[in-house]
Amino acid sequence: MKKSKGPIILAFAAGLMVCLAEIPATAQTAGARPATVSLPRAADGKPNLNGVWQVLNTAAWDIQDHTGQLGVPPGLGVVEGIEIPYQPAALAKKQENFANRLTADPTEARCFLPGVPRATYMPFPFEIVQTPNSMAIRYEFAHAVRMVPVNGSKHAEGIPPTWMGDSRGRWEGDTLVVDVTNFNDQTWFDHAGNFHSDALHVVERYTMTNPDHVLYEATIEDPKVFARPWKMTMPLYRRVDKNARLLEYECVFYLQEERYKNAPFK
Amino acid sequence: MKTAAVLIAMVLLASTAIAQSTTSAPVNASTPARLSDGQPNMQGLYTRSGVKALEAEPPFNPIDPGDKNPLSVSNRGDGLGPYPRIFGEGGNVLRGQQPRAQRPTGIVFPANKKLPWRPEEDAKRRQFLLDMNPPKDLRHIELNSRCALPGLFEGEDGNNPYTILQPPGQVVIIYDYNHTSRVIDLNRREHPGKNIRLFMGDSLGHWEGNTLVVDTTNFNGRVAYSREIPYLSEDLHTVERFTVVENAIDYEVTIEDPKLFTGPWKVAGAFSKASKDVESLEFACAEGSQTLQNIFGTPPAR
Repeated sequence: MKKSKGPIILAFAAGLMVCLAEIPATAQTAGARPATVSLPRAADGKPNLNGVWQVLNTAAWDIQDHTGQLGVPPGLGVVEGIEIPYQPAALAKKQENFANRLTADPTEARCFLPGVPRATYMPFPFEIVQTPNSMAIRYEFAHAVRMVPVNGSKHAEGIPPTWMGDSRGRWEGDTLVVDVTNFNDQTWFDHAGNFHSDALHVVERYTMTNPDHVLYEATIEDPKVFARPWKMTMPLYRRVDKNARLLEYECVFYLQEERYKNAPFK
Repeated sequence: MKTAAVLIAMVLLASTAIAQSTTSAPVNASTPARLSDGQPNMQGLYTRSGVKALEAEPPFNPIDPGDKNPLSVSNRGDGLGPYPRIFGEGGNVLRGQQPRAQRPTGIVFPANKKLPWRPEEDAKRRQFLLDMNPPKDLRHIELNSRCALPGLFEGEDGNNPYTILQPPGQVVIIYDYNHTSRVIDLNRREHPGKNIRLFMGDSLGHWEGNTLVVDTTNFNGRVAYSREIPYLSEDLHTVERFTVVENAIDYEVTIEDPKLFTGPWKVAGAFSKASKDVESLEFACAEGSQTLQNIFGTPPAR
């Protein structure tokens, strides 16, 4: 009896592998990810991204390689190829931003909306709300929120530029691709002064690699600031805490309480 | 030189609809479509109306924009009053479906619209309002002029639309107003501990037929109901009922706040499906606001 167990288990395992390989394959068209992991799926067959996510990196301080400083955790960069292809004048501006960062970073110094992709890698959780035709991403930091239509609609035209951009989503196989335009020039990519203009165009890719991890990629294009497009890449981790949910980080309110606590002082 | 607040509150009239394909069919009052997790489908873009707590024996309201008080900062002549008209009128464009006329709105309990204030708390509230214009200190600044999260469905967010999404196990309400969003959890049964304090509170929901019932606690004591009710306490507890009807949601909220009131009161209103194809737009608030500088000047350097 003992001897016969091995092949039976192997056969069962082989059958299971065939099943695992076949289930995703029926829904998969892009083929970017090997079909070996069973992903949680929504009723429409798309990977189910609903839930609370967060990065585990230091990109909010500096998206490039940086050593530790007082109040700044050290980190390896999230920029592919390490260097950001600034145009010469823009590089000088970045260096000026870095020198003035304590007072000039709109997000850290003034609590303004962080823009995209910075909202993703702020050291706060965010929540993806997924339905078949319309998605939203809620961020704990400054209660930022983005609507992401996934209905084939095109970017809105003729509206003022925005802090969080105009997002349009589409599925490429199992990857959610979000095209973001209509930014203002008021946000930075990080606390180190990396910046962009109002010509910024971001393409985000959310690829679930297993139930608790998403590969996040953001391609950055801005012909006024960069010589060519470049890309950030990082994993998103599901907050698996059983009570995971967003709370509130009302940065603006806290800042007001600090700055105006002795008012009136005219 | 002081600058007036520049805030963006707009509604985009676009050629593309946000309406879900699953909601494009008319919702029948008796049998709204069901979603994959069994929830009645109320997804879509809505405007709100009727949720006004216009009480009997209202207080003098010195921060009314129509205020004629010559001592008011609103009337100081430079047009820069403390509470700029920052809020969009987009909701009026969208409000194609008015709430059904036969259904009462506003304060529906008590019937005489006299809110059950504890007398000493009502007196404090009336004095607080007087101290809001000119504002005595930061605490006496109208909360939505500070771009605080709105807490409850009142204030001036009625002119901006709401998007409702229903992923499995949740109802998510996204307000255009101040990019607010709110998750109503349908699976969780317990509120967090008393040290968790939130502008929007913690919301637990369940469906009773076609009515979503939402219990909310853990408010932070920095929630106004209206210009006449400029704050509620940390003991605020609301029970909301969202009933899905044809192209609309009948809304009712029961408000309990034992620190301020001797009993509950109720306000009714409605959410109506947007009458045009629209998309929500960004309402950046703090990013353009000069309100506190206008009122207090620039804070001294540290």
